[in-house]
Formats: sequence, structure tokens, C-alpha cells
Amino acid sequence: MSAPSTPRDEGSPGTESIESGSIIGREPADFDARTVELLPIYQAAGSVLTWGFRVAASLLIIGIAVALVRQEPLARRAEPLPKVVLGLLEGEARRIVDLAIVAMIATPVVTTLVVAIGFLRLRDRLYATLSLVVLAILGTSIAVALLA
Amino acid sequence: MRAVELGVVSAGAAILGSMLGLGGGVFLVPIFTLFFAVDQKIAIGASAIAVVTNSVVGSSVHLRSRFTNLRLAMLLQVATAAGATAGAVIGVYANPRVVNVIFGGVLVYAAVSMAVRRQAATVGEPVDDDRLRLGAVYRDPAAKDPAAPVRYAPQRVPLGLGVSGLAGMLSGMLGVGGGVIQVPAMNLLMRVPVKAAAGTSAFMVGITAVATASVFYAQGKIDPTVVVPAMIGVFVGSQLGSRLTRRIRTQNLVLLFVLILLYLGGSLLLRAAGITLPGQQ
Repeated sequence: MSAPSTPRDEGSPGTESIESGSIIGREPADFDARTVELLPIYQAAGSVLTWGFRVAASLLIIGIAVALVRQEPLARRAEPLPKVVLGLLEGEARRIVDLAIVAMIATPVVTTLVVAIGFLRLRDRLYATLSLVVLAILGTSIAVALLA
Repeated sequence: MRAVELGVVSAGAAILGSMLGLGGGVFLVPIFTLFFAVDQKIAIGASAIAVVTNSVVGSSVHLRSRFTNLRLAMLLQVATAAGATAGAVIGVYANPRVVNVIFGGVLVYAAVSMAVRRQAATVGEPVDDDRLRLGAVYRDPAAKDPAAPVRYAPQRVPLGLGVSGLAGMLSGMLGVGGGVIQVPAMNLLMRVPVKAAAGTSAFMVGITAVATASVFYAQGKIDPTVVVPAMIGVFVGSQLGSRLTRRIRTQNLVLLFVLILLYLGGSLLLRAAGITLPGQQ
């Protein structure tokens, strides 16, 4: 990765007479390093997606099953989270389905959080910040949805 | 039962979409509104959740293969998520006719861009610098040499951000994933190889659709009797589609896709003009 340093190379056109570290990221090794350091994040994100799906799918199956057994029709309108919780406490099957939908929507959000944490651990401030900004944008729309 | 019909139709859309590496999301709203008389806003809400489902299920594969460029995804996502939030806020109140015109236009654009599809050969291009550290590497099991590393560094980031913002806005207004705009943008404009563009887009699309889905949820536009069949149908369809991929020639699929897009796009435009084609509600 270091620039050639034989005397006749210095100062001649086309050579890297500055340290190669300042020609940022040109070496194949840089590409590889940048990807390899992300491996824990790839794994964490993959786990969140897998588990998020499992939770949402399970809730959906349970909700539909209970609704079928009780012959309770599904709601025509998914309610905000406070009402969902109240409904669940009153044993309404349709609210389980609402919760399944919420779980599905929440999964990419948790994934983004996990990615942000991963970048923080890598001390990659730029991308940690960007991930947190994305989270903030999502957070505002979700907060409105769940609390309205 | 309407739920079963919606589910089957969603599965069909997802099968077709996943065989070409696109979500079927682009079909759901037109089909639901044109053929099942589903309220447009409810159809958009359902489509957004179907897109989230598809993304959640599909991106674990791309992540495992490292096709997804996480840094690029997060960078562009700032623009896409912001665009989607704005687009959804506008779209949830917008006149359905206006939305039909926009949607019809997007479908026709998608048809044309698919018909004219070019792919940029981007492997091995030297880059001046990669200050944003977007450069990444992956290995393609389907390539001639599966062990050969493919290195690339996304270029023209400001342009990419602009296009992502636009894709986000459309996503928010129409309930689509946005992949149909983002993948070509990443590939042709930003010089990202197709597999990485597709993998990154598949990951991003879910996050974008969350913004759309939340806004529509807040406005009471999430109807489980429509959303649940759509979610299940799209899930089943994309599983089937990825298995069927090898059996069918891509050219025929592309032709079919283009024809369907033109038909649906044209129908939406006509609908906005007050014309309902035979066979539609």
C-alpha cells in the first residue's frame, strides 16, 4: 500500500509523491477492509429481519386463527397503539392482527437502530449519525401513527 | 371471498415481480383500485405494508451475500425517508385523480425504462477518492468465477441523493417501493453493479415504506381486511417467484411485465379522465 520510494520516482509526473493514505480509499485492500468491518452489522441486521418477520408472522397466524374460531371479523381499520392495547386487554382477536401489522412495520425500524449501533461501535461517526437521522425521520412518522 | 381474491392477485403480482428482481408493489394499487374498487388510500396503505413485508423477507438473502451496501443505503435513506414522509403526507390527502395521473405516468415510465433496459458495466473502474467510504466488495456466486471479488465505489453521490429523494416522494405518495427508480439510478448514474444496486435497494425499500405506512396508519387508512391478504399473498408469491426464476426466459418476462405496466398505467390515466375500461370496476 505504500508508494514507491526509489529516488528517481520522486517528483516525476504521475507518481504518488504524497502518501497513498491521502488518496483516499483507492486500494483494493481499502474496499475489502471497509466491507469486512461491517460483517457484525450485516449479521445483526439479518437477525433482526429474520426475527421481526417471525414475530409478525406468528402474531398474524394467531390473530387469524382466534378470529376464525370465534367467528370474529377482522377490523376494517387498524387502530393506533393505545387502542390496540386496550382491545387486546379486552380479548379482541382483531387487535392481535393489528399488532402483527405493527410488528411488521417496526422491524425495519429496529434494523435501522441496530445498524446505527453497529456504526457507533465501529466509531464510524458519519454513518452512525446518518443512521440516527434516518431513525429520527422514521420516528416522527411512527410516533404520530401510534399515538394519534 | 374478496380476501382470497386479493390474496391470489397479490401473490401473482409478487411472483412476477420477484422473478425479475422487483417487488410486485407497483401492481397492487392499480389492480386493487381498478378491479376490486378498493379505496385508493387504503390500497396505498396496504401496498406500503406489502412492500415492507417483501423487503423484510427478501433482504436477509442480500445481506448474507453482502450485496447490500450498508453505508450507501444509510446515506441515500436520509433522502428517501424524508421524501417518503413528505410524499405520504401529501398523498394521503391528495385528490385520487391527481394520484392516478402520477401513478399512471410512473407505470408508463417504468415500462419504457424496462424495455430499454441497459446495464452499466462498472467493475474495476478506478475512482479518484472515496471520501465517504462507500466503496465495498462482494462475491457473486452466479458469476463465472464465484470467488472473484467485485469492488466498486458509488459515484456522483449528490445526484444519487436527489434521485433517491424523488423516489422517496413517489414511494410515499403511491405506496410503491421505489426500487424501479432507485436500481437504475444506482446502476447507471452511481456506477454500482446491478447485484449491489438490487441488494441495496431491497434493503432500503422496506425502510422507505415504513415512513409511508406510518403516515397512512395515522390517518386510519390501514384496513386489515385488505392488508392481511396483501401481506400473505406477497409473501407466498415472492417465495414461489424466487424458485421459479430459473425456469423462464427473462426476455419473455420483461415483455409481459412491460405490457402489464402499460395496460395498468394507461387504465389509471384513463380513469383519471373519467373513463373506465371494460372489465374494470
